[in-house]
Amino acid sequence: MKLEETIRALYDAGVEFVLIGGAAMGIQGSAYLTRDIDICYGRTPSNIDRLAKALQPLSPSLRNAPASLPFKLDAATITAGLNFTLATTLGDLDLLAEVSGLGTFREVLAASEKREIGGVPCQVLSLEGLIKAKTAAGRPRDLYVLPELRALVEAKKKIGLQ
Amino acid sequence: MTAEQEKLLLDLINDPPPGSDLAKAKEFGVDLTLFHSTLRCTPTERAQALSQAAELFEVSKRPNHDKQ
Repeated sequence: MKLEETIRALYDAGVEFVLIGGAAMGIQGSAYLTRDIDICYGRTPSNIDRLAKALQPLSPSLRNAPASLPFKLDAATITAGLNFTLATTLGDLDLLAEVSGLGTFREVLAASEKREIGGVPCQVLSLEGLIKAKTAAGRPRDLYVLPELRALVEAKKKIGLQ
Repeated sequence: MTAEQEKLLLDLINDPPPGSDLAKAKEFGVDLTLFHSTLRCTPTERAQALSQAAELFEVSKRPNHDKQ
């Protein structure tokens, strides 16, 4: 995955999104490694249109779906669905309309922090937001990372690091 | 991270206060020393590290990668 380039592509297209999941964990200081990028995106028609336009040059396809399956990621497709697991030329990218434990894009945005990544501003889910989301998801793989996330919150607070 | 913050962090990593989330994480098996390297980095550097790790994984998955 090419995280900086993906963020840049979304930023340049004016997409409203929040970086979530393992990539957000990494940006917030976790040592967790991930192979895909998860974002929560706004569901307004204009934002969906911008998202579709941003992704079209990246040749998006459905991950783990037969190549013969017809698929075109345009505004109509995104409007008709909610969550998409995509393969793109910049790597695997998951689009989520909601995040468990937090809600829809507005709630996720409220739980995010602005970070500068590759020279552009990017909203990244906070450690507290990640803890809420992982706790609500409740799968073993989510619960497994909670001790590290809680320790990071504590360490950053104690040393006064944002 | 300032030098003072770095010293504070190293103290916390090496001797987490009993009962703290840091101590619980250490007991759980989290390598707290990794915080020292990740928290010193900028968000951009962390993004680059994530991308490089993902790339390394992809390369390792390719057939005959050990012959290249």
